[in-house]
Amino acid sequence: MDNTAIDFKRKINIPWLFRMAWRDSRRNRSRLFLFISAIVFGIAALVAIYSFKYNVQNDVNDQAATLIGADLSISGNKPVDDKLKHMLDSLGDDRSQERSFASMAYFPRTNGTRLVQIRALHGDFPYYGTLETTPEVAGLTFKKGRMALVDKTLMLQFNAKVGDSVKVGNLNFQIAGILNKAPGQSGVMAGIAPVVYIPMQYLEQTGLVKIGSRVNYSFYYKFNSSVNVDKIGKKIDPMLDKAGMRFETIETKKDNTGRAFGDLSRFLSLVGFVALLLGCVGVASAIHIYVKEKIASIAIMRCLGVKSSEAFLIYLIQIVGIGIIGSVTGAILGTAVQHLLPIVFKDFLPFTISVQISWMAIGQGILLGVIISILFALLPLISVRNISPLNTLRISFDESGNRRDPLRWLVYLLILVFVIAFTYLQLDSIIGSILFTLGILIAFMILTATAWLLMRITKAIVKGSWSYLWRQGFANLYRPNNQTIILIVSIGLSTMFICTLYFVQTLLVQQVNLSTSGNQSNMILFDIQSSQEKGVVQLTKQQGLPVLQQVPIVTMRIEQINGKTAADLAKDTTIKIQHGVFTWEYRVTFRDSLTSSEKLLDGKWIGKADPSKEIPVSVEENLSKRGNLKIGDKIVFNVQGVQMPAYVASIRKVNWGKVQTNFQVVFPKGILEGAPQFHVLMTHVPSNKVSAAFQQVVVRAYPNVSIIDLGLILSVVDELLSKISYVIRFMSAFSIITGIVVLIASVRISKYQRIQESVLLRTLGASRKQIFTITALEYWFLGSLSALTGILIAFAGTYFLAKYSFEIPYSVNILPALVLFLIVSLLTVVIGLLNSRGVLNKPPLEILRTNA
Amino acid sequence: MNKVTLSGILLAALTMAGCGDGAKSSNNDQAQAATENVKTDSASKKIVLFFGDSLTAGYGLDDPADAFPGVISRRVDSLKLPYKVINAGLSGETTAGGNGRIDWLLKQKVDVFVLELGANDGLRGIPVSETAKNLQSIVDKVKAKYPDAKLVLLGMQVPPNMGADYTAKFKNVFPHLAKKNNMALVPFLLQGVGGVPSLNQGDGIHPTAQGAKIVANNVWAILKDELK
Repeated sequence: MDNTAIDFKRKINIPWLFRMAWRDSRRNRSRLFLFISAIVFGIAALVAIYSFKYNVQNDVNDQAATLIGADLSISGNKPVDDKLKHMLDSLGDDRSQERSFASMAYFPRTNGTRLVQIRALHGDFPYYGTLETTPEVAGLTFKKGRMALVDKTLMLQFNAKVGDSVKVGNLNFQIAGILNKAPGQSGVMAGIAPVVYIPMQYLEQTGLVKIGSRVNYSFYYKFNSSVNVDKIGKKIDPMLDKAGMRFETIETKKDNTGRAFGDLSRFLSLVGFVALLLGCVGVASAIHIYVKEKIASIAIMRCLGVKSSEAFLIYLIQIVGIGIIGSVTGAILGTAVQHLLPIVFKDFLPFTISVQISWMAIGQGILLGVIISILFALLPLISVRNISPLNTLRISFDESGNRRDPLRWLVYLLILVFVIAFTYLQLDSIIGSILFTLGILIAFMILTATAWLLMRITKAIVKGSWSYLWRQGFANLYRPNNQTIILIVSIGLSTMFICTLYFVQTLLVQQVNLSTSGNQSNMILFDIQSSQEKGVVQLTKQQGLPVLQQVPIVTMRIEQINGKTAADLAKDTTIKIQHGVFTWEYRVTFRDSLTSSEKLLDGKWIGKADPSKEIPVSVEENLSKRGNLKIGDKIVFNVQGVQMPAYVASIRKVNWGKVQTNFQVVFPKGILEGAPQFHVLMTHVPSNKVSAAFQQVVVRAYPNVSIIDLGLILSVVDELLSKISYVIRFMSAFSIITGIVVLIASVRISKYQRIQESVLLRTLGASRKQIFTITALEYWFLGSLSALTGILIAFAGTYFLAKYSFEIPYSVNILPALVLFLIVSLLTVVIGLLNSRGVLNKPPLEILRTNA
Repeated sequence: MNKVTLSGILLAALTMAGCGDGAKSSNNDQAQAATENVKTDSASKKIVLFFGDSLTAGYGLDDPADAFPGVISRRVDSLKLPYKVINAGLSGETTAGGNGRIDWLLKQKVDVFVLELGANDGLRGIPVSETAKNLQSIVDKVKAKYPDAKLVLLGMQVPPNMGADYTAKFKNVFPHLAKKNNMALVPFLLQGVGGVPSLNQGDGIHPTAQGAKIVANNVWAILKDELK
């Protein structure tokens, strides 16, 4: 080294910068390791959650595909003309056709006849899922000969066995197998008439398809390349519409299956967003503290002649290195967790989660780790430019470079843009991403404000008269070198995520469970005449089946609303009543109370009424809108020739999602008892066997009663819903656990913050117990306050999510929040104490030497 | 928003399970002539009661008055015949349902009783003997209350896909019943309409307004003699 003055215009020596970055990192590897581990946990959490998310999404989509069994299905009830046929034949890579219609099947051996749904199949449909049969091969082999697959309940009903024959039209078919489940069978028709599959090549010979026959024509397609089937559907829709046909894709089917799919994908987006932020918290808090600690070293370097730009670059290089190492390790760890977890929990998982390496997740994880490292390192590093050598001597009493620096704002902006961009990758919606990021920004500001207030308030209230330990514990919160803001923000955010996820998860699982059948009705008997009602109920009970619902139904029309008739409507366009309100035939019931699926929105529920006065009726919300009905409005009903003047006494909200009878109009008791009516009875049959036996006795005693067995349809949907509900719980549990790990990691990095002070106190003669108490007090305050704030924000966040994102009723349980509060608070204290364990257990000097 | 969940659809369909449904019923303008109004109206005019299902009710038509009883009503008016037509059609009605409901309608006087039921039984595969039994019971009730009423039976057929055996048995119910009860019979109500796509609505079973005119002609060919 020569003695000439330092050349401040020297060129940047890049290899030297790298060397310096390396040398600096050598100083305290164990400390470096701690910081990297925080990054590792953050990124591992992100990669694991993303990987699970992508896999689980694929799993559920695959399952959904079995709902229709093909990528695209087109159906109509007329034969197709040549032009349409040409178009239909040009679609897809694999094609199947099906003709389905109702017919009377005859079982010669037991001499039984009943209405069935014949499905004549040609081609390899189903492309997703299988025709589940007993024996298994029958689902494929039946197409090779004059063979049929017969619905399980139907087999039981007629005591038929595989190998028997069934007569369809003019033709006998050998029963090749029992049909247990079939894709695309969620149609209602399957509930009324059990399904019999036959090969299409024999359809002609059955003599069932003639002029006047009511046949449904279906075309199923599989696309080998990944084309947008929904787009194709939309494109051909006008042509199909003209021919009276309609199409269905996996997506449209999902939409029609209810909100569960939508809820799931919104939830997974939320989870993705939370994972992103968990990653950010993990990385950012580690980098932030790490760089802050380096200020002293930078000042020393500056003393030795290092230019500020060089110092900046040295640390930037170091951070990028740390970021890369941490992120890659994190990605590996996350992928490992993703692969190991399903194996470890194999026995507990009700279904298999497919495990595939998700490069998308890994890529996003590493990229995110590195970028977040740099961005959050930039914040303190920008001020490095302003660190003067004098800082060595001042021991950074005033946090140097804290004056307003325009570059800081640029970095803030970059962070914001970056978070929005990554959120967009998860949410796929720009507005959503901005709103979510804004929400987090608000949460962040609330937490920062809380921290700031805490510092102010403690500073104001701590008095000299307090015991030393309390004073010291509190003073740690606001004295220089405090960690209040960083810890409150990271603990608070993590708690908020955990709590929000838990709340939303509970709400969603409730919602999904509402839709599953469970012990709900899965069999509906209708067209029961009044004279048969008692008998059917008795028969049901005799069979050991529950009567879940039993309702009378009277058909009527609306004749007048406030004196206006359909004729007035045609003349006067200012009347705000939809035409359909008058032409609709209303199925009305009468009872004295609301059911569990109804909620009173307005007015008063009246359960009993006097026939000589105006009748108080209850109207469903949507009908009230279509008919522009308000409380007190007069309606004249035409009950099959008899005029009944009524008024709207109440407006109800009805949950149409439940399998039970729901009504647009409900009459009170005491009016319609004598009107012509039929009855509907709902019950739950536990198995195909019971269903078959029950149907048999009912039909024998009451041949006119029609039965819909929803068991098969519901079981397909139930399986799907339980999978969705499970996935939601699994993802939230996993995210919560990773959230806690990230939280632990971010508290853990505060280890070195307090060591010096604790050692000094020890040297001055403080007992272990005193240091223990001081530390415990500080962390308890930080932990409990940030947990509390986080949970409160979560309450608000859940409210907004429930209301605007998921559109479900908001309700939260205090107890889990309380438990979470205690866990987070205690966890913070425990980690805080663990952090200072070294100080407590080892002689001060040893620690000073190793951690200086 | 997918407010229509699967089970919602199922339930909607439950009520739809019959021969069409959930739709327009009785021919509004005439139907109000029921019980209460009978006194004022029936003094001058005799009553023709069309008792049936969605085919009578005019399911799916923009104006239920376009259903065949409405067409006949207009013809009766233009011919200045002293009859008033009442449409007592109810979508989804089976013969069992009709049997339970008939008493309610017989509170008013009936001079000509036109019976149009059975189609929903056929589509649900209800045993033919059951359908015959219920129809007979309805006729018995009408006869007991108004022995002088003229009776017209509208014959129905089920589509060939139900199987030759069932189709044949079903078809035979009507001539048999008409003969036994000495009723006038329209052999097949939907003659010339059933199975013709252009005359039926999208569902393939309910006639359009155009189809209903042909149906009305089928009925009128027989009914006109009863109105003399």
